[in-house]
Parts: sequence; structure tokens; C-alpha cells
Amino acid sequence: MDSDKIGVFICHCGSNIAGVIDIKRVLNEIARAPNVFVMDHTYLCSKEGLNELKRKIAEEKLSKVVIAACSPRLHERLFRRAAEEAGLNPFLVEFVNIREQCSWPHMYSPTAATNKAIALIKMGIEKARLLTPIQRRYARAKKRVLVIGGGVAGITAALSLASLGIEVYLVEKQPTLGGHMAMLDKLFPTLDCSICILAPLMSEVSEHPMIKVLTLSEVTSIKGRPGDFEVEILKRPRYVNEEKCVGCIEICSKTCPVEVPNEFDMGLRPRKAIYLPFPQAVPLLAVIDPDHCIGCRNCEDACERDAIDFNQTPERIRIHVGAIIVATGYETFDARLKSEYGYGRYPDVITSLELERLLSPSGPTRGRVVRLSNGKEPRRIVFIQCVGSRDESVGNPYCSRICCTASIKEAICIKERIPDAEVFILFQDIRTYGKGYEEFLLKAMRDFGIKIIRGRASSVTANENGDDLIVRAENTLTGEIMEINADLVVLSVGLVPPSDTEDLARMLGISQSSDGFLLERHPKLAPSETMIQGIYIAGTIQGPKDIQDTVAHSKSAALDAANFVLHEKIELDPYVPTYNPDLCKRCRLCEEACDWGALTFDKEKGVIINSSACLGCGACVAACPTGALDMPYFTNQQIIAQIHATLENKCEFPLIVAFLCNWCGYAAADFAGTTKIQYPTNIRPIRVMCTARVSPLMILEAFKAGADGVLVVGCHPQDCHYRTGFSKAERRISALKKYLENVGINPRRLKIASTSASEGERFANIVREFVEELKKLGPIGSELVMKSAG
Amino acid sequence: MSASEQVIQLEKTDPKFVEEIIEYGSKIFGREHMETITACFQCGTCSGSCPSGRRTAYRTRLVMRKALLGLKDEVLSSEELWYCTTCYTCYERCPRGVRTTDIIRVIRNIAAKSGRMKEQHKRVARLLIRFGHAVPITDEFKEIRKALGLSELPPTVHSYPEALDEVRKLIKIMKFDQMVGYQESG
Repeated sequence: MDSDKIGVFICHCGSNIAGVIDIKRVLNEIARAPNVFVMDHTYLCSKEGLNELKRKIAEEKLSKVVIAACSPRLHERLFRRAAEEAGLNPFLVEFVNIREQCSWPHMYSPTAATNKAIALIKMGIEKARLLTPIQRRYARAKKRVLVIGGGVAGITAALSLASLGIEVYLVEKQPTLGGHMAMLDKLFPTLDCSICILAPLMSEVSEHPMIKVLTLSEVTSIKGRPGDFEVEILKRPRYVNEEKCVGCIEICSKTCPVEVPNEFDMGLRPRKAIYLPFPQAVPLLAVIDPDHCIGCRNCEDACERDAIDFNQTPERIRIHVGAIIVATGYETFDARLKSEYGYGRYPDVITSLELERLLSPSGPTRGRVVRLSNGKEPRRIVFIQCVGSRDESVGNPYCSRICCTASIKEAICIKERIPDAEVFILFQDIRTYGKGYEEFLLKAMRDFGIKIIRGRASSVTANENGDDLIVRAENTLTGEIMEINADLVVLSVGLVPPSDTEDLARMLGISQSSDGFLLERHPKLAPSETMIQGIYIAGTIQGPKDIQDTVAHSKSAALDAANFVLHEKIELDPYVPTYNPDLCKRCRLCEEACDWGALTFDKEKGVIINSSACLGCGACVAACPTGALDMPYFTNQQIIAQIHATLENKCEFPLIVAFLCNWCGYAAADFAGTTKIQYPTNIRPIRVMCTARVSPLMILEAFKAGADGVLVVGCHPQDCHYRTGFSKAERRISALKKYLENVGINPRRLKIASTSASEGERFANIVREFVEELKKLGPIGSELVMKSAG
Repeated sequence: MSASEQVIQLEKTDPKFVEEIIEYGSKIFGREHMETITACFQCGTCSGSCPSGRRTAYRTRLVMRKALLGLKDEVLSSEELWYCTTCYTCYERCPRGVRTTDIIRVIRNIAAKSGRMKEQHKRVARLLIRFGHAVPITDEFKEIRKALGLSELPPTVHSYPEALDEVRKLIKIMKFDQMVGYQESG
């Protein structure tokens, strides 16, 4: 529209943007564009900045707005709302990311960064000219939440939700609720009994009318969309009738001839094939372990209440929920991987979790600390810290956060039981950062005489007789090498994500951070949210946490989930394709491209779009050869306008047009920026929801307009937000490469790559390598010149 | 010792020393390998694992620390620098992936270049130039080899004296002979 007036608002973000990019030069340059109003602001996201934005929209009669600021992933909603309040359709706003994808990753090249910022803003302006209003899309959320994991995190989240009147399904893999917390003896820094404060919550959950507890159960599939997820749960048989069993256990288990190590006691004592995991188990029901039961049916004969039921079969439960909270906790590091510490070789080298069971009054020794080799009380105990934490040799560079204070607590518990024992803690850095933790350390040193030595243990060996252990370490504060003869060594093992986290993340379509835990939407401002609306994370599945932090994090996840399901309506991405039957050749390629069955074909009407099934990836649009289908906000025309805008004035070589998917490619670029990873300025990112939206037409158009390279970055195939979007893009691109070769363009100028949202360094490397490769290939067209010359 | 000698004075340190080490070693091991020194967090796993450190005052951790602090003179002239047996245990165990042993070797190279090679090492180096082996064969080993059914001399420069000439030529080009005080006569 010629009458369009585009308002361009350039944010300084204090010095975050203005410290690198020459704002004055940008303003001068942009002011030259036709029908543009441009202004800058120190903090556009501030109340004052937003008011200024609204005022200018009215005063200048702006019809479209370009926000050149931080990533739209941060403040998209904020600016859209402001535009809406000023009377504009919220989707007449285009975002230009000049912080995460310009000033931050190019901190040391201010001139090139300024040129890039100008180019990016021009792309934004040309796209904005073509924007059309889009209606917001809403749906109603089911007022029901699925909580996966029945440890303290899941329990807390479930109770918080239920207290707000929200129905909860709490799914736990084990036969009982409780998680790791149920295994611990006492808790730091108060030395209160763990099960004593947990058991009442476990009962409360199981008796709450709004909470349905499913033990022995696992989520096997998740479909649907935020607000209405269709969840399938597999409930394994307990082989015990839940109505009849009263958990008396002695009668049935006494007759069972099978003995296997009890997992709950870390295998330190046996259990029967019919058993109760621990006395406070919830539900308080016997369970038969089908892997070890020999089918003698003695228990069946013994049970006076006829509760044994061998006819039970696995049950598949299907439920619809509005939101999901993942609270699957952690596993402890496998200490055998640090072979120099001798775990698994020496019986008196144990892990902290094994020690917790020894310390517990309901544990295998009823609370006595003994050497596993001879059952005697140890006289000298050495704790080794950071086992599997802060250790790149085993791939865990992170700090597990809880082990320092946990060892201090365990050391005190030992001293309470064996006052004349000597207890050493070999630490690297004591991290007692929580409320009351430093005082707790002081208490351990002053009141209990626990000796702390700075130095990471280098090895544990046995002495000549084999009855004592020798722990060797450098006391790094004195520089002396120490050899401590110990009769018990406790490895303070770190926390690692549960082994099935990758599968779970894939099922949910959410990302893992580089440490393998689940990735939060924002490390500070959205710690319980994920990149996907309606899916939240609680407790240690997000990263190592103590119980205090786990409870706080779980309540915040519950609040987020409640907020989501209690709203009258929730906003969905408004991106649903438009259809022009006049252009449609009835080829039905779009139907094939849609994984969601959102497109159906009718002989009369052509393509029918079911908007509630559509996820907005745009794969169908890219498949459409005629342009009958198009994607609002990411139209063919708009994207091509962006391409032309950046290639009109090629200010550097090589110049790369980069299509980045919203969820991973774009997010990884943002992450690189946030972590100040530097890479060359040569790329011009274009955000698309999915790489499957990128049509061959766009790529060819980019080359035609003079791009030296085209880069497409999406999610790792297994992480794709739209399941097969990236794989589709890969197939299209490999076909297109052959075509390029035929027309004489070196196919290496087209590159597709994948990253996860947290792989900033990987993203930077992809750019660096591609830039180097294109430098070797020379400007676009070099190959044609050489061909005609040769 | 005056009071000021008890204090590390930053003016007397060489902040570029780490870069010098990295640069020097980059030619041999690559830059990334050498840059691991900057990740050292002083946990002491290296010193605790060190077979030499159990018997001597050699502390791998301290060498890293002093190098990072720029205590160039202290590091290069320390006797202990030469006590590393290059067994690579610290290298294998380092939780930060610091390529300790290789870094120690590079620091030794720098020390040797500046004429601070330990006398014992020079002596071994002279043996290398003379015999082509740091540990030349002895009559005793000749006997053992014969008893095992092997040739009296191993298929090295011991068997091929012309190869020894080539080794010497290389050593001369690199001026290694001067560095270790080797004289033709012997």
C-alpha cells in the first residue's frame, strides 16, 4: 500500500546495542527509505519507551511498525500488545533482532555490525510493508494437569494445583511415591528426618479428591496441542488388588521363596518378589515384581484377604490434559566411571546414597554405619567430593550443588553415631551457598571436629593387607601430598539427568540443555517454563537442586501451569495457512506434506484447512507449487522481499541468507548472542517457524539476487518441534542441490544444518565454517565465469 | 630476604608468559590443546596422582598456577620442572581437560631454549647425540637379546651407523648439540 507509513523504532538497550552499533549512522541510513518514520530510544521495553511507541503510532499515523531491538523471543508479546493498544493489529509489527543476533555476537566489529544492523532493519521494513492483519487465535484449555514423576517435586506441584481446584494426574514409574527424598535419612541444614516431613505429603496426595495417583505407570505418548494434550499412559500390573490389599506385607512376603536386592536400599538388603518398597510407601500396597516372581503362588494362598491377582494385565489409560509438568528428578552419577576411586572393587568404598540408607533408622542396618567388608564400625571415614561433578573427564562439567552440604550433613550424622570416629572431607571448593548452610559447615567443624581438606582425591587404593583403604590427594593449601588410611570412603556422587530424559524430551518436543537436563525457557525469568506453552518443568529435571529449591521451583511450575489452564482462553500461534482455490492445481502435495491431518481434499472446494489441527509449521505452503497456499506473517512475498532488501546493497562478502527455524536455529543464534559467542557478521537471518517452510523458490530467489550462500538451520531431526519438519527440509535441500549443480551453481553454496536451542557454539561454528568455505568458492557466479573461461 | 621478596609483585610478573607457552606449544600440539591451561581450577588431582610428587617437591598444580600468574623466572629456573616423568596420569585424570603433561613439556622446551636445561637432562641428551639412544645398549642387554634369540643389536642406529649420521645432522641443524654442550670429541 502506497499510503503505508512504516514506523521504525530502534532500541539502544542501554549500551547492549548502542555500545557496539553506531545508532546515529543507522538512523541516518534508515531515514532515507521512503515512507518511513524512524526514532531511537534508550530502553524501548520500559514503560516510558512503550508509551512513546504508542504515542508515535498515533501522532505519525503509522500503519506498520518495525521494532529493532532484542530477540522477539524475549519481548514479542509486549510490543504486539503495545501496538494493539495504539489501535494497530498486533501482527502489523515486525521484529528485527539487533541484539542477540547482531551487537552481541559481533562485539568487536562495530563497523560491520552497524552495516549488518542497517541491512537487517531494511529487511524488516520491506517485510513490514507487506504485512496484513491477522486475527489472534484462541483455544480453551482443559482444566486438568498431568504431573510426571512422584518425588518431592511432583508431589509439591500436584498439591499446589489441586489446592487451586485443578484436577491432577500424578504418574509415577515406581510402585510408590517418594522419589529420592524418601531414601534420605536427615536433611540439611536442620537435621530433620526426611521421611517424617515427606510421608504426610505423600498421604495427602493419595487422598486428595482432585489428585489421581497412578503408580507403576509411564507416559507412552503425547499428542495434541497446548491446552489439549492427548496423553497415553501405560499402567503396569501390580498383581495385587488395590481395593483388598491393606499393606500388611508380612503374611504374603514371608511365604515368598525369592530374594533379590531391594532397590530402595541400594541393594544393601534383600526383599522378596512380593514386597513393600519401604514401610511408609504410598500407596501402602504390596507389589509383585514380575521379573523375579517364580509363580509359586504361595502368597496367593497366604493372603487372608484374597488380594493377590495374577490375572491383572497392563492397562492403557488415555487422558486429555491442558498442561503437563515434568518432574522426573535425577539419577546419581555411576561411580564406577571414576575407576581410580575403586568403587565396585573395594566394598568399603560406597556412594553417598548408600550411606544415606545405612544412616536411616529404617535402613538395612537400622541406622548403624558399618563397613560393608566386615560389618564393623568404621574409625576413619573420608568423603570424596565432586565425584562425577565438575569433571570433564566424565563429561559432566557442571556443579551438582547439593553434594557439599549433603556430605557435611552425613559427616555430622556419622559423628553423632560414632563420636570418636575421624571424619575427613576432601573438597575442592566448599559451596555452602544456601540459607543457614555456611553456619551448618561451621557447626560441623567446630562442634563435631570434622576435618575439611582442600584437594581433589586422586586415587583410592587398598593397603598391603587389603583391610584398609588409602586415599591419596594433594592438600592444595599446604602443597603436601597426603595419604589417608581410611576404613570407609564415601564418594559424594553428583546428579545426572535420568537416562530416559532424551526420549521424554523428544516425546514432549522440548529441548535439553548441553548437560542433558531439560532446558528452561529463560534461566532467570522463566525457570519453570519450556519453549512450549503448556509444558513446564519442576525440580532437578531442570538441573541439580536441593529440596528447598526443588519445592520453590515446583510451586512456580504449578503456578505457571495453573495460570495456563485456568485462563478462559489461551492464545495459540495465529499462523494457519490461507488458501486461494483459483491458483490451486489440485495436485494434493500439501496433503502429503501435513503430518497432522490438518489438510483434507474436497473435489468441489479443493483444500480444506482444519485450523484446530494445524500447528503452523508451513510445510504444506512450501510444498505448494502454485502459491495457492500461503502462510500469514511468513508469506512467500514477504520472505522474498526480505531477501531482496538485503541483497540490494551487498556490503560484505560472502553474504549468506540464513533461514532459521524459530525453535532451534533461531534460538541457538540467540543463545550464541546471549553468551557472547563471536562469529562472522556475514549472515542475514530470516526467521521461519520451521525449516520445512523454506521453499526451493526462496532459495533460488536468493541465489538469483546475488547471495553467495544460503544456510538453513533447524532442529536436530529428533527434536523437531513439528516432528518431521527438519527431515522434510533436508530432503528438499538435497534434491535442490542436484538442481543447482545442473544449472552450474556449486551445490556447496547451499547448506543445511541442525542445532539444539542451547548449542550456541555449534551455531557459531556452522557460520564460521560456511563463511570459510564460501571464501574459497568466491562470489556467486565465480563458477560460471570459470566454466565459460575454461 | 627482604619483605618485598615475600610478596608476589605483579610488576615483576610476566602476564604474557601463558600466551608464550600457548604460542610455543601450538606449533606442536595445536592451539586448542595448549589453551586448556587457562581452565585449571587448582584442584590438585594432578599433584595427587603424580608418582614423582610422592618423592620430590614437584607439584604439577603449582607449575600451572605459577605459569598462569606469570611467574616466568620462577617456573623456568625451578629444579622441579625436570622431575616430571611424563607418565601422563595427571593428563588422563584432569577434570578440566588440561593437557598437563604436554604443557610441562612445552615449558621445558622454553626453559631449555633459554639455557636452563637441567644438567642431568643435558647428559642424557649428549648420550643421544653420541649413540643415537638416550639409553645406549650395554653388554648385559646384548647377552639378553642373544638369549632371547634376537640379533645382538636392535634394528636402530646401533645397527645402522649411517642413520646415526643423519640424526646428528638434524641435531646440528637445530643447534641442539650446542644447547646441551656436546663436543665432537665427546
